[in-house]
Amino acid sequence: MQPVIETKDLKKYFKVGSSSFLHAVDTVNLSIPAGATLGVVGESGCGKSTLGRTILGLHPATDGQVLYKGRDITHLKPAERKKLAREMQIIFQDPYSSINPRHSISHIIGEPIKVHKLVKGKAELEERVRELMNTVGLAPRLYDAYPHELDGGRRQRVGIARALGMAPEFIVCDEPVSALDVSIQAQILNLLMDLQEKMGLTYMFITHDLSVVKHISNEIAVMYLGQCVERAPSDELFKNPAHPYTRALLSAIPVPNASARERKPQLIRGEITSPIDPKPGCRFAVRCPHATESCTGEELHLTELSPGHFVMCRLHEN
Amino acid sequence: MSFLDIRDLTVVYTNGRETVHALNDFSLRLERGKTLGLVGETGAGKTTAALSIMRLLPERTGRVLGGSVTFDGADLRSLKEEEMRVVRGGKISMIFQDPMTSLNPVLTVGEQIFETLELHNIENRSHQQLWERVDEMLALVGIPPERKKDYPHQFSGGMKQRVVIAIALACSPQLLIADEPTTALDVTIQAQVLAMMDELKQKLDMSMIMITHDLGIVAQTCDDVAVVYAGEIIESGSFEDFFMQDKRRHPYTRGLFGSIPNIDSRERRLTPIEGLMPDPTNLPEGCRFHPRCPDCTERCRTERPTAHERGGHVIRCHLFEKEGE
Repeated sequence: MQPVIETKDLKKYFKVGSSSFLHAVDTVNLSIPAGATLGVVGESGCGKSTLGRTILGLHPATDGQVLYKGRDITHLKPAERKKLAREMQIIFQDPYSSINPRHSISHIIGEPIKVHKLVKGKAELEERVRELMNTVGLAPRLYDAYPHELDGGRRQRVGIARALGMAPEFIVCDEPVSALDVSIQAQILNLLMDLQEKMGLTYMFITHDLSVVKHISNEIAVMYLGQCVERAPSDELFKNPAHPYTRALLSAIPVPNASARERKPQLIRGEITSPIDPKPGCRFAVRCPHATESCTGEELHLTELSPGHFVMCRLHEN
Repeated sequence: MSFLDIRDLTVVYTNGRETVHALNDFSLRLERGKTLGLVGETGAGKTTAALSIMRLLPERTGRVLGGSVTFDGADLRSLKEEEMRVVRGGKISMIFQDPMTSLNPVLTVGEQIFETLELHNIENRSHQQLWERVDEMLALVGIPPERKKDYPHQFSGGMKQRVVIAIALACSPQLLIADEPTTALDVTIQAQVLAMMDELKQKLDMSMIMITHDLGIVAQTCDDVAVVYAGEIIESGSFEDFFMQDKRRHPYTRGLFGSIPNIDSRERRLTPIEGLMPDPTNLPEGCRFHPRCPDCTERCRTERPTAHERGGHVIRCHLFEKEGE
């Protein structure tokens, strides 16, 4: 089946200073089948949000391709891009800054519908907005409320309703639950999964929280300094993590049960290095406990370990 | 008496029009050398509890209406401000959540550690001895002492939090209150910082209150656990009471566990707690949790539950009345 989203050697560099480049996204290849969820995990600064935005065209790509249902959408004219925006939406991380405090809830949800002329007349717009509020579980009395009257969870529901207004097929969820408390986080995750089942949505779910990503994703991509270092079906990744970074990430999650005490996390030394003009070779090598000389100097490529399980690491090259 | 003993502490914030009931009969005990995990969601009153111990509540709005805080035999609420200043930073230190904003951007990190030492210099150590102590502290938290001349912006988030920890530990406090010390950090860095804190706690023989919303962190680091909801402790007990599967739990604690996506299970749907935290200016009658509780009865709506204890495991819920005592 044709994937909804596919990237081919996608690159996004930002110019820093006069001649340096920050490699935010470097040669990333992904594909997301219809109705599935790809989880993208990594720590701050690994390029996961930039990847999401580059796919949507919010950042122009430096090189490589983004395909939407087989069609190249890397360089579209503004008019075409606008048309496509109906099918591809984004839900942002921070519900406190992603909705306008001076507009009412109905205005915020209704505005994109008006911009794209999806309904005729005021009555129809109101009906559509109320329907969307109902879908995401917002009480009808909040129709004329303002964002400051809402808590984080409800604001995030507004963000979701706004994205759903376009009846999109593909949604980039950029850390949609990380600003929320656990009990509210669970409500929003359930909502996103229900909507996916009901509407057949395709998600790219960006997060730094590995337990959330396992919960919601079919496939997971692990990013480190702009590169996708490992990609595998969700269960496979948690069962057989291959990349030393993935292993360190997995062991670093604090688990809320009694066995947590015995489980000693594999600490990795140091911190993420600079993404500006990285040297060829493995970018994790300086922190890696298994690093050898062969890890640096030459670009690495993804190796397929088992069907669908790819890793970028010398340890796993034959 | 326990090392730290908080009894029936009641704290409100007022602005003239509204009264926020931040802590309601909040009671907590901590033994010497132990780590207590204080768990709760945003607005539950975790930070207010910490600030009340330190007597750092905002002067204009925060008011303690009643209760006592006893630390190492001394009643903290009746100390004079000068006496409290010796305790604060000297005997009890606090680490705040956000390392980016708890350091002074225009002083070098060395100067900031030095400042604390100078303020609490009871042993009259010389200038040079104090600077030696600065080097020692930096080395202790894993930062090369040469970096004492650097400014906060030259450090990453994890390194800044290490500096904050160095400042907090500089005077060898007996109690460390850590308010969400790793929330702003990435998981691999969080693991590094938590491991370091654990090691330092052993080495310096401190007691610790770990304020967090992450039950995973509690499982990894704490000896005892207390859950805060709407300004009161609704459940407290040992690590085993909370994390051994078959134990009794308060419905809210059960809800908290149900909300966490579990890495080891294949459950597709989470079982979140319905509804939202109550508005602290207008707390519900009876049990504070009743509007969200799946096991709510008529009695819960009207009568406030008392704490029921069994073997040190305290639950504030009518359900556990019969088996209590």
